[in-house]
Amino acid sequence: MGALFRDTYRYRELIWALALKELRVRYKRSVLGFLWALLNPALLMLVLTLVFGTIMRFSAPHYSIFLLSVLLPWTFFSQSLAYSVESIVGNGELLKKVRVARLVFPIAAVVSNIINFLLSTIPLALLILVTRFPFHWTWLYLPIPMMGLFLFTLGAAFFFAAVNVYYRDVSHIIQVLLSAWFYFSPVIYSVDFMPAKYQWLFHLNPMLYVLNGFRLGIYYGQLPSLQSTAMCLLCGVLSVVIGFTVFRRYENSFVYYV
Amino acid sequence: MVDNQYSIEFDDVVQQFRRITERPDTLREVFAKIRRRRINYQDFEAVKHVSFRISKGEVVGLIGRNGSGKSTILKIIAGVYTPTSGSVQVHGTIAPLIELGAGFHHELTGRENILLNGLLLGLTKREVGEREAQIIAFAELGDFIDSPIKQYSSGMYMRLAFSVAIEVDPDILIIDEILGVGDAGFQQKCFDRIQRFRDAGKTIILVSHAMDNMRKFCSRLILVHNGALLEDGAPDYVIDRYEELIGQRARMPVRK
Repeated sequence: MGALFRDTYRYRELIWALALKELRVRYKRSVLGFLWALLNPALLMLVLTLVFGTIMRFSAPHYSIFLLSVLLPWTFFSQSLAYSVESIVGNGELLKKVRVARLVFPIAAVVSNIINFLLSTIPLALLILVTRFPFHWTWLYLPIPMMGLFLFTLGAAFFFAAVNVYYRDVSHIIQVLLSAWFYFSPVIYSVDFMPAKYQWLFHLNPMLYVLNGFRLGIYYGQLPSLQSTAMCLLCGVLSVVIGFTVFRRYENSFVYYV
Repeated sequence: MVDNQYSIEFDDVVQQFRRITERPDTLREVFAKIRRRRINYQDFEAVKHVSFRISKGEVVGLIGRNGSGKSTILKIIAGVYTPTSGSVQVHGTIAPLIELGAGFHHELTGRENILLNGLLLGLTKREVGEREAQIIAFAELGDFIDSPIKQYSSGMYMRLAFSVAIEVDPDILIIDEILGVGDAGFQQKCFDRIQRFRDAGKTIILVSHAMDNMRKFCSRLILVHNGALLEDGAPDYVIDRYEELIGQRARMPVRK
Protein backbone atom coordinates (compact mmCIF):
# COMPACT_ATOMS: atom_id res chain seq x y z
CA MET A 1 0.00 0.00 0.00
CA GLY A 2 2.92 2.30 0.69
CA ALA A 3 3.92 1.79 -2.91
CA LEU A 4 0.71 3.49 -3.99
CA PHE A 5 1.54 6.70 -2.13
CA ARG A 6 5.21 6.61 -3.04
CA ASP A 7 4.68 6.03 -6.74
CA THR A 8 1.79 8.46 -7.03
CA TYR A 9 4.02 11.14 -5.58
CA ARG A 10 7.00 10.11 -7.65
CA TYR A 11 5.07 10.14 -10.94
CA ARG A 12 2.81 13.07 -10.11
CA GLU A 13 3.99 15.11 -13.09
CA LEU A 14 3.45 12.23 -15.50
CA ILE A 15 0.00 11.47 -14.04
CA TRP A 16 -0.99 15.11 -14.35
CA ALA A 17 0.28 15.33 -17.95
CA LEU A 18 -1.58 12.14 -18.88
CA ALA A 19 -4.79 13.39 -17.27
CA LEU A 20 -4.59 16.70 -19.13
CA LYS A 21 -3.82 14.83 -22.34
CA GLU A 22 -6.96 12.76 -21.89
CA LEU A 23 -9.12 15.84 -21.40
CA ARG A 24 -7.48 17.64 -24.29
CA VAL A 25 -8.03 14.70 -26.61
CA ARG A 26 -11.61 14.28 -25.40
CA TYR A 27 -12.57 17.85 -26.22
CA LYS A 28 -10.29 18.51 -29.14
CA ARG A 29 -11.88 19.25 -32.48
CA SER A 30 -15.25 19.96 -30.91
CA VAL A 31 -16.51 23.49 -31.38
CA LEU A 32 -17.51 23.94 -27.75
CA GLY A 33 -14.42 22.27 -26.32
CA PHE A 34 -14.27 22.24 -22.55
CA LEU A 35 -17.80 23.64 -22.36
CA TRP A 36 -18.95 20.07 -22.94
CA ALA A 37 -17.78 19.22 -19.45
CA LEU A 38 -20.46 21.64 -18.23
CA LEU A 39 -23.06 20.95 -20.89
CA ASN A 40 -23.06 17.18 -20.56
CA PRO A 41 -24.35 16.99 -16.98
CA ALA A 42 -26.66 19.93 -17.57
CA LEU A 43 -28.32 18.23 -20.54
CA LEU A 44 -28.49 14.87 -18.80
CA MET A 45 -30.12 16.55 -15.84
CA LEU A 46 -32.64 18.23 -18.14
CA VAL A 47 -33.66 14.90 -19.64
CA LEU A 48 -33.90 13.12 -16.30
CA THR A 49 -35.76 15.99 -14.65
CA LEU A 50 -38.22 15.97 -17.50
CA VAL A 51 -38.73 12.22 -17.38
CA PHE A 52 -38.77 11.63 -13.65
CA GLY A 53 -39.81 14.99 -12.27
CA THR A 54 -42.54 15.89 -14.76
CA ILE A 55 -43.71 12.70 -16.43
CA MET A 56 -43.20 10.16 -13.67
CA ARG A 57 -43.98 12.76 -11.00
CA PHE A 58 -41.29 11.90 -8.48
CA SER A 59 -42.29 14.67 -6.19
CA ALA A 60 -39.57 16.57 -4.49
CA PRO A 61 -39.32 20.32 -4.44
CA HIS A 62 -36.40 21.47 -6.58
CA TYR A 63 -36.21 18.01 -8.11
CA SER A 64 -33.40 19.05 -10.44
CA ILE A 65 -31.14 19.91 -7.50
CA PHE A 66 -32.26 16.78 -5.68
CA LEU A 67 -31.19 14.85 -8.77
CA LEU A 68 -28.03 16.71 -9.68
CA SER A 69 -26.56 16.52 -6.17
CA VAL A 70 -26.12 12.76 -6.68
CA LEU A 71 -26.09 12.56 -10.46
CA LEU A 72 -22.78 14.46 -10.67
CA PRO A 73 -20.86 12.12 -8.34
CA TRP A 74 -22.48 9.15 -10.04
CA THR A 75 -21.49 10.38 -13.50
CA PHE A 76 -17.95 10.86 -12.23
CA PHE A 77 -17.91 7.29 -10.96
CA SER A 78 -19.29 5.71 -14.12
CA GLN A 79 -17.14 7.76 -16.51
CA SER A 80 -14.01 7.06 -14.50
CA LEU A 81 -14.68 3.35 -14.75
CA ALA A 82 -15.46 3.50 -18.45
CA TYR A 83 -12.13 5.23 -19.05
CA SER A 84 -9.94 3.34 -16.66
CA VAL A 85 -11.11 -0.13 -17.65
CA GLU A 86 -9.35 0.48 -20.99
CA SER A 87 -6.42 2.37 -19.50
CA ILE A 88 -3.93 -0.52 -19.50
CA VAL A 89 -5.08 -2.25 -22.67
CA GLY A 90 -5.29 1.07 -24.49
CA ASN A 91 -1.68 1.87 -23.63
CA GLY A 92 -0.52 -1.63 -24.49
CA GLU A 93 1.75 -0.56 -27.33
CA LEU A 94 3.50 1.83 -24.99
CA LEU A 95 3.91 -0.76 -22.24
CA LYS A 96 5.59 -3.09 -24.72
CA LYS A 97 8.25 -0.52 -25.52
CA VAL A 98 9.08 1.49 -22.45
CA ARG A 99 9.15 0.61 -18.81
CA VAL A 100 6.55 2.85 -17.24
CA ALA A 101 4.98 2.51 -13.83
CA ARG A 102 1.70 0.92 -14.81
CA LEU A 103 -0.29 2.47 -12.02
CA VAL A 104 -0.07 5.90 -13.64
CA PHE A 105 -2.68 4.97 -16.27
CA PRO A 106 -5.71 4.15 -14.10
CA ILE A 107 -4.78 7.00 -11.76
CA ALA A 108 -4.59 9.45 -14.65
CA ALA A 109 -7.99 8.25 -15.91
CA VAL A 110 -9.51 8.97 -12.51
CA VAL A 111 -7.71 12.31 -12.14
CA SER A 112 -8.93 13.55 -15.52
CA ASN A 113 -12.46 12.69 -14.45
CA ILE A 114 -11.98 14.48 -11.14
CA ILE A 115 -11.20 17.63 -13.12
CA ASN A 116 -14.31 16.99 -15.20
CA PHE A 117 -16.34 16.44 -12.04
CA LEU A 118 -15.20 19.70 -10.49
CA LEU A 119 -16.08 21.54 -13.72
CA SER A 120 -19.50 19.90 -13.74
CA THR A 121 -20.36 21.43 -10.37
CA ILE A 122 -20.55 24.80 -12.12
CA PRO A 123 -23.97 24.09 -13.68
CA LEU A 124 -25.18 22.93 -10.28
CA ALA A 125 -23.98 26.16 -8.68
CA LEU A 126 -25.71 28.17 -11.43
CA LEU A 127 -28.91 26.20 -10.94
CA ILE A 128 -28.81 26.89 -7.21
CA LEU A 129 -28.41 30.61 -7.86
CA VAL A 130 -31.10 30.78 -10.53
CA THR A 131 -33.73 28.82 -8.63
CA ARG A 132 -32.93 30.68 -5.39
CA PHE A 133 -32.36 27.42 -3.62
CA PRO A 134 -31.47 28.11 0.03
CA PHE A 135 -27.80 28.00 0.97
CA HIS A 136 -26.73 25.39 3.47
CA TRP A 137 -23.68 25.49 5.71
CA THR A 138 -23.45 21.69 5.28
CA TRP A 139 -21.85 22.32 1.87
CA LEU A 140 -18.62 22.76 3.78
CA TYR A 141 -18.81 19.11 4.70
CA LEU A 142 -18.70 17.92 1.07
CA PRO A 143 -14.93 17.20 0.89
CA ILE A 144 -15.53 14.18 3.15
CA PRO A 145 -17.97 12.31 0.85
CA MET A 146 -15.78 13.40 -2.06
CA MET A 147 -12.85 11.67 -0.42
CA GLY A 148 -14.90 8.50 -0.06
CA LEU A 149 -16.09 8.77 -3.66
CA PHE A 150 -12.62 9.33 -5.11
CA LEU A 151 -11.12 6.44 -3.15
CA PHE A 152 -13.93 4.08 -4.01
CA THR A 153 -13.62 4.97 -7.69
CA LEU A 154 -9.83 4.63 -7.71
CA GLY A 155 -10.00 1.16 -6.19
CA ALA A 156 -12.60 0.03 -8.72
CA ALA A 157 -10.49 1.59 -11.50
CA PHE A 158 -7.41 -0.44 -10.48
CA PHE A 159 -9.43 -3.61 -10.25
CA PHE A 160 -11.23 -3.39 -13.57
CA ALA A 161 -8.20 -2.09 -15.47
CA ALA A 162 -6.22 -5.14 -14.33
CA VAL A 163 -8.94 -7.73 -14.95
CA ASN A 164 -9.67 -6.31 -18.40
CA VAL A 165 -6.12 -7.13 -19.47
CA TYR A 166 -6.88 -10.83 -19.06
CA TYR A 167 -10.54 -10.88 -20.07
CA ARG A 168 -11.64 -8.24 -22.53
CA ASP A 169 -15.26 -9.13 -21.76
CA VAL A 170 -14.93 -6.93 -18.71
CA SER A 171 -15.10 -3.72 -20.73
CA HIS A 172 -18.48 -4.87 -22.12
CA ILE A 173 -19.79 -6.23 -18.85
CA ILE A 174 -18.98 -2.99 -17.12
CA GLN A 175 -21.36 -1.03 -19.36
CA VAL A 176 -24.28 -3.26 -18.37
CA LEU A 177 -23.14 -3.36 -14.78
CA LEU A 178 -23.02 0.43 -14.59
CA SER A 179 -26.49 0.98 -15.99
CA ALA A 180 -27.98 -1.63 -13.65
CA TRP A 181 -26.05 -0.15 -10.75
CA PHE A 182 -27.40 3.28 -11.63
CA TYR A 183 -31.02 2.19 -11.23
CA PHE A 184 -30.35 0.25 -8.04
CA SER A 185 -28.64 3.23 -6.44
CA PRO A 186 -30.60 6.12 -4.99
CA VAL A 187 -29.82 8.62 -7.74
CA ILE A 188 -33.14 9.43 -9.38
CA TYR A 189 -35.10 8.49 -6.26
CA SER A 190 -34.37 8.78 -2.54
CA VAL A 191 -33.44 6.01 -0.14
CA ASP A 192 -36.89 5.77 1.52
CA PHE A 193 -38.46 5.21 -1.91
CA MET A 194 -37.14 1.67 -1.83
CA PRO A 195 -39.64 -0.97 -0.67
CA ALA A 196 -39.15 -1.67 3.04
CA LYS A 197 -39.01 -5.38 2.41
CA TYR A 198 -35.90 -5.06 0.31
CA GLN A 199 -34.20 -2.27 2.23
CA TRP A 200 -31.54 -4.65 3.52
CA LEU A 201 -30.70 -5.63 -0.03
CA PHE A 202 -30.19 -2.04 -1.06
CA HIS A 203 -27.98 -1.52 1.93
CA LEU A 204 -25.47 -3.98 0.52
CA ASN A 205 -24.73 -1.47 -2.22
CA PRO A 206 -21.56 0.46 -1.34
CA MET A 207 -22.62 3.35 -3.58
CA LEU A 208 -25.48 3.99 -1.18
CA TYR A 209 -23.01 5.09 1.49
CA VAL A 210 -20.68 6.79 -0.93
CA LEU A 211 -23.46 8.93 -2.40
CA ASN A 212 -25.41 9.50 0.80
CA GLY A 213 -23.41 12.48 2.05
CA PHE A 214 -23.82 14.37 -1.22
CA ARG A 215 -27.62 14.50 -1.24
CA LEU A 216 -27.90 15.09 2.49
CA GLY A 217 -25.29 17.83 2.40
CA ILE A 218 -26.28 19.61 -0.80
CA TYR A 219 -30.06 19.16 -0.92
CA TYR A 220 -31.34 18.55 2.59
CA GLY A 221 -28.78 20.66 4.39
CA GLN A 222 -28.15 17.84 6.83
CA LEU A 223 -25.10 15.95 7.93
CA PRO A 224 -25.07 12.18 7.50
CA SER A 225 -24.85 10.11 10.66
CA LEU A 226 -21.44 9.23 11.97
CA GLN A 227 -22.15 5.64 11.02
CA SER A 228 -22.95 6.52 7.43
CA THR A 229 -19.84 8.68 7.13
CA ALA A 230 -17.72 5.89 8.52
CA MET A 231 -19.24 3.43 6.03
CA CYS A 232 -18.56 5.83 3.17
CA LEU A 233 -14.88 6.16 4.04
CA LEU A 234 -14.59 2.47 4.84
CA CYS A 235 -15.97 1.54 1.41
CA GLY A 236 -13.43 3.88 -0.15
CA VAL A 237 -10.45 2.50 1.74
CA LEU A 238 -11.49 -1.13 1.26
CA SER A 239 -11.95 -0.57 -2.45
CA VAL A 240 -8.48 0.91 -2.82
CA VAL A 241 -6.88 -1.86 -0.76
CA ILE A 242 -8.55 -4.63 -2.76
CA GLY A 243 -8.21 -2.94 -6.16
CA PHE A 244 -4.59 -1.96 -5.73
CA THR A 245 -3.59 -5.35 -4.31
CA VAL A 246 -5.06 -7.13 -7.33
CA PHE A 247 -3.43 -4.61 -9.69
CA ARG A 248 -0.06 -4.94 -8.01
CA ARG A 249 -0.23 -8.71 -8.03
CA TYR A 250 -0.60 -8.89 -11.82
CA GLU A 251 0.99 -5.73 -13.17
CA ASN A 252 4.26 -7.38 -14.16
CA SER A 253 2.50 -9.73 -16.55
CA PHE A 254 0.30 -7.12 -18.21
CA VAL A 255 2.85 -6.69 -20.96
CA TYR A 256 2.42 -10.30 -22.14
CA TYR A 257 -1.33 -10.00 -22.56
CA VAL A 258 -2.00 -6.53 -23.93
CA MET B 1 24.51 6.04 -7.14
CA VAL B 2 26.48 2.96 -6.26
CA ASP B 3 29.63 2.83 -8.27
CA ASN B 4 29.87 -0.30 -10.30
CA GLN B 5 32.10 -1.10 -13.22
CA TYR B 6 29.26 -2.81 -15.05
CA SER B 7 26.27 -1.20 -16.69
CA ILE B 8 24.40 -4.39 -17.36
CA GLU B 9 24.77 -7.83 -15.84
CA PHE B 10 22.83 -10.78 -17.22
CA ASP B 11 23.15 -13.99 -15.27
CA ASP B 12 21.57 -17.14 -16.68
CA VAL B 13 18.52 -15.29 -17.92
CA VAL B 14 15.56 -17.23 -19.27
CA GLN B 15 12.50 -15.63 -20.80
CA GLN B 16 9.51 -17.83 -21.42
CA PHE B 17 6.48 -16.91 -23.44
CA ARG B 18 3.19 -18.65 -23.73
CA ARG B 19 2.07 -19.13 -27.28
CA ILE B 20 -0.62 -16.56 -27.77
CA THR B 21 -3.03 -18.61 -29.91
CA GLU B 22 -3.57 -21.07 -27.12
CA ARG B 23 -4.45 -18.50 -24.53
CA PRO B 24 -8.17 -18.06 -23.89
CA ASP B 25 -8.87 -14.41 -24.50
CA THR B 26 -12.49 -14.15 -23.49
CA LEU B 27 -14.59 -15.76 -20.81
CA ARG B 28 -16.39 -17.87 -23.41
CA GLU B 29 -13.13 -19.47 -24.40
CA VAL B 30 -12.25 -20.08 -20.77
CA PHE B 31 -15.53 -21.90 -20.25
CA ALA B 32 -14.99 -23.83 -23.45
CA LYS B 33 -11.55 -24.86 -22.26
CA ILE B 34 -12.77 -25.89 -18.82
CA ARG B 35 -15.58 -27.96 -20.28
CA ARG B 36 -13.20 -29.80 -22.50
CA ARG B 37 -11.00 -30.24 -19.43
CA ARG B 38 -8.02 -29.50 -21.52
CA ILE B 39 -6.13 -26.31 -21.09
CA ASN B 40 -3.37 -26.71 -23.56
CA TYR B 41 -0.75 -24.11 -23.97
CA GLN B 42 2.80 -24.26 -25.00
CA ASP B 43 5.61 -22.42 -23.35
CA PHE B 44 8.62 -21.62 -25.39
CA GLU B 45 11.86 -20.00 -24.40
CA ALA B 46 12.66 -16.88 -26.34
CA VAL B 47 15.86 -16.38 -24.35
CA LYS B 48 17.73 -19.43 -23.08
CA HIS B 49 20.19 -19.16 -20.22
CA VAL B 50 21.95 -16.07 -21.48
CA SER B 51 24.75 -14.53 -19.43
CA PHE B 52 26.90 -11.54 -20.25
CA ARG B 53 28.29 -8.41 -18.69
CA ILE B 54 28.57 -5.03 -20.28
CA SER B 55 30.96 -2.54 -18.74
CA LYS B 56 30.35 1.16 -18.50
CA GLY B 57 31.32 2.95 -21.68
CA GLU B 58 31.15 -0.09 -23.91
CA VAL B 59 29.37 -0.03 -27.26
CA VAL B 60 27.95 -3.48 -27.76
CA GLY B 61 26.04 -4.77 -30.76
CA LEU B 62 23.56 -7.61 -30.74
CA ILE B 63 23.28 -9.54 -33.98
CA GLY B 64 21.35 -12.56 -35.09
CA ARG B 65 18.68 -13.63 -37.50
CA ASN B 66 15.08 -12.47 -37.26
CA GLY B 67 13.35 -14.01 -34.29
CA SER B 68 16.60 -15.00 -32.62
CA GLY B 69 15.77 -13.13 -29.42
CA LYS B 70 17.67 -9.86 -29.86
CA SER B 71 14.68 -7.61 -29.25
CA THR B 72 13.55 -9.71 -26.31
CA ILE B 73 16.97 -9.21 -24.72
CA LEU B 74 16.70 -5.47 -25.30
CA LYS B 75 13.27 -5.42 -23.70
CA ILE B 76 14.58 -7.30 -20.68
CA ILE B 77 17.35 -4.73 -20.36
CA ALA B 78 14.82 -1.92 -20.69
CA GLY B 79 12.72 -3.49 -17.93
CA VAL B 80 9.70 -4.11 -20.14
CA TYR B 81 9.84 -7.85 -19.53
CA THR B 82 10.49 -9.50 -16.21
CA PRO B 83 12.57 -12.61 -16.98
CA THR B 84 11.20 -16.00 -15.99
CA SER B 85 14.42 -16.92 -14.21
CA GLY B 86 17.96 -15.68 -13.80
CA SER B 87 19.05 -12.27 -12.63
CA VAL B 88 19.37 -8.99 -14.43
CA GLN B 89 21.07 -5.96 -13.00
CA VAL B 90 21.09 -2.61 -14.68
CA HIS B 91 23.07 0.26 -13.21
CA GLY B 92 22.06 3.68 -14.44
CA THR B 93 19.20 5.30 -16.31
CA ILE B 94 18.01 3.91 -19.61
CA ALA B 95 16.42 5.44 -22.67
CA PRO B 96 15.10 2.77 -24.95
CA LEU B 97 14.92 3.71 -28.58
CA ILE B 98 13.24 0.42 -29.24
CA GLU B 99 10.48 1.83 -31.31
CA LEU B 100 10.44 5.53 -31.78
CA GLY B 101 7.54 7.64 -30.73
CA ALA B 102 5.93 4.93 -28.60
CA GLY B 103 4.24 7.47 -26.34
CA PHE B 104 3.25 9.97 -29.00
CA HIS B 105 -0.32 11.04 -29.33
CA HIS B 106 -1.51 12.18 -32.71
CA GLU B 107 -3.91 14.87 -31.56
CA LEU B 108 -1.27 16.65 -29.48
CA THR B 109 1.23 19.13 -30.85
CA GLY B 110 4.93 18.41 -31.13
CA ARG B 111 5.62 20.50 -28.06
CA GLU B 112 2.96 18.73 -25.98
CA ASN B 113 4.34 15.39 -27.10
CA ILE B 114 7.87 16.36 -26.10
CA LEU B 115 6.67 16.93 -22.56
CA LEU B 116 4.62 13.75 -22.40
CA ASN B 117 7.30 11.58 -23.93
CA GLY B 118 10.03 13.12 -21.78
CA LEU B 119 8.03 12.39 -18.65
CA LEU B 120 7.38 8.83 -19.85
CA LEU B 121 11.12 8.34 -20.31
CA GLY B 122 11.68 9.44 -16.74
CA LEU B 123 12.54 13.13 -16.91
CA THR B 124 10.96 15.73 -14.68
CA LYS B 125 8.94 18.56 -16.12
CA ARG B 126 11.77 20.97 -15.43
CA GLU B 127 14.33 18.79 -17.16
CA VAL B 128 12.10 18.57 -20.22
CA GLY B 129 11.77 22.35 -20.19
CA GLU B 130 15.53 22.78 -20.12
CA ARG B 131 15.99 20.42 -23.06
CA GLU B 132 13.04 21.56 -25.13
CA ALA B 133 14.91 24.08 -27.26
CA GLN B 134 17.66 21.57 -28.07
CA ILE B 135 15.12 18.89 -28.96
CA ILE B 136 13.25 21.18 -31.31
CA ALA B 137 16.45 22.38 -32.93
CA PHE B 138 17.80 18.88 -33.37
CA ALA B 139 14.55 17.64 -34.91
CA GLU B 140 14.56 20.55 -37.42
CA LEU B 141 10.84 21.03 -37.08
CA GLY B 142 10.62 24.82 -37.09
CA ASP B 143 7.06 26.14 -36.93
CA PHE B 144 5.57 22.66 -37.06
CA ILE B 145 6.39 22.17 -33.40
CA ASP B 146 3.03 23.70 -32.45
CA SER B 147 0.98 21.66 -34.91
CA PRO B 148 -0.63 18.34 -34.03
CA ILE B 149 1.77 15.61 -34.99
CA LYS B 150 -0.77 13.80 -37.14
CA GLN B 151 0.09 16.47 -39.70
CA TYR B 152 3.75 15.50 -39.65
CA SER B 153 5.44 13.55 -42.39
CA SER B 154 6.85 10.23 -41.26
CA GLY B 155 10.34 11.73 -41.44
CA MET B 156 9.41 14.61 -39.14
CA TYR B 157 7.75 12.21 -36.75
CA MET B 158 10.85 10.02 -36.54
CA ARG B 159 13.17 12.98 -36.17
CA LEU B 160 11.17 14.32 -33.24
CA ALA B 161 11.04 10.91 -31.57
CA PHE B 162 14.77 10.39 -31.99
CA SER B 163 15.55 13.85 -30.64
CA VAL B 164 13.48 13.35 -27.51
CA ALA B 165 15.05 9.99 -26.74
CA ILE B 166 18.62 11.16 -27.32
CA GLU B 167 18.19 14.38 -25.33
CA VAL B 168 16.96 12.42 -22.34
CA ASP B 169 20.70 11.86 -21.97
CA PRO B 170 20.54 8.49 -20.22
CA ASP B 171 23.46 6.46 -18.89
CA ILE B 172 22.53 3.59 -21.19
CA LEU B 173 21.16 4.07 -24.67
CA ILE B 174 19.36 1.20 -26.38
CA ILE B 175 19.01 1.46 -30.14
CA ASP B 176 17.00 -1.09 -32.08
CA GLU B 177 17.23 -0.89 -35.86
CA ILE B 178 16.35 2.72 -36.08
CA LEU B 179 19.39 4.15 -37.70
CA GLY B 180 17.41 4.56 -40.89
CA VAL B 181 15.78 7.71 -39.56
CA GLY B 182 15.37 10.63 -41.92
CA ASP B 183 17.46 11.61 -44.92
CA ALA B 184 21.22 11.22 -45.29
CA GLY B 185 21.86 14.58 -43.60
CA PHE B 186 19.82 13.73 -40.55
CA GLN B 187 21.30 10.27 -40.35
CA GLN B 188 24.76 11.79 -40.25
CA LYS B 189 23.60 14.01 -37.41
CA CYS B 190 22.31 10.99 -35.52
CA PHE B 191 25.61 9.18 -36.00
CA ASP B 192 27.51 12.21 -34.75
CA ARG B 193 25.24 12.47 -31.75
CA ILE B 194 25.64 8.79 -30.90
CA GLN B 195 29.40 9.15 -31.31
CA ARG B 196 29.45 12.06 -28.88
CA PHE B 197 27.39 9.95 -26.54
CA ARG B 198 30.01 7.24 -26.78
CA ASP B 199 32.86 9.68 -26.25
CA ALA B 200 31.15 10.84 -23.07
CA GLY B 201 31.75 7.33 -21.72
CA LYS B 202 28.15 6.15 -21.82
CA THR B 203 27.00 2.65 -22.59
CA ILE B 204 25.27 1.90 -25.87
CA ILE B 205 23.51 -1.28 -26.94
CA LEU B 206 22.79 -1.54 -30.64
CA VAL B 207 20.75 -3.93 -32.71
CA SER B 208 21.12 -3.79 -36.46
CA HIS B 209 21.35 -5.94 -39.53
CA ALA B 210 23.68 -3.44 -41.18
CA MET B 211 27.03 -5.06 -40.46
CA ASP B 212 28.98 -2.03 -41.71
CA ASN B 213 27.42 0.13 -39.03
CA MET B 214 28.05 -2.51 -36.43
CA ARG B 215 31.71 -2.76 -37.39
CA LYS B 216 32.01 1.02 -37.35
CA PHE B 217 30.40 1.62 -33.97
CA CYS B 218 30.80 -1.41 -31.79
CA SER B 219 33.75 -2.49 -29.72
CA ARG B 220 32.16 -5.86 -29.15
CA LEU B 221 29.44 -7.97 -30.68
CA ILE B 222 27.16 -10.63 -29.26
CA LEU B 223 25.66 -13.21 -31.61
CA VAL B 224 22.32 -14.64 -30.58
CA HIS B 225 20.83 -17.70 -32.22
CA ASN B 226 17.52 -19.34 -31.34
CA GLY B 227 17.50 -17.52 -28.02
CA ALA B 228 20.95 -18.68 -26.96
CA LEU B 229 24.18 -16.76 -26.85
CA LEU B 230 26.44 -18.18 -29.55
CA GLU B 231 29.40 -15.83 -29.69
CA ASP B 232 30.63 -12.87 -27.71
CA GLY B 233 33.75 -11.08 -28.85
CA ALA B 234 35.55 -8.86 -31.34
CA PRO B 235 33.33 -7.54 -34.17
CA ASP B 236 35.28 -9.02 -37.09
CA TYR B 237 35.28 -12.49 -35.62
CA VAL B 238 31.61 -12.48 -34.60
CA ILE B 239 30.49 -11.12 -37.95
CA ASP B 240 32.37 -13.96 -39.69
CA ARG B 241 30.55 -16.45 -37.50
CA TYR B 242 27.24 -14.74 -38.25
CA GLU B 243 27.83 -14.89 -41.97
CA GLU B 244 28.73 -18.52 -41.68
CA LEU B 245 25.43 -19.07 -39.92
CA ILE B 246 23.46 -17.31 -42.63
CA GLY B 247 25.40 -19.16 -45.33
CA GLN B 248 24.64 -22.42 -43.67
CA ARG B 249 20.98 -21.67 -43.76
CA ALA B 250 21.19 -20.77 -47.42
CA ARG B 251 22.95 -24.02 -48.29
CA MET B 252 20.84 -26.31 -46.21
CA PRO B 253 17.20 -25.27 -46.22
CA VAL B 254 15.35 -26.40 -43.12
CA ARG B 255 13.12 -29.36 -43.78
CA LYS B 256 10.14 -30.36 -41.73
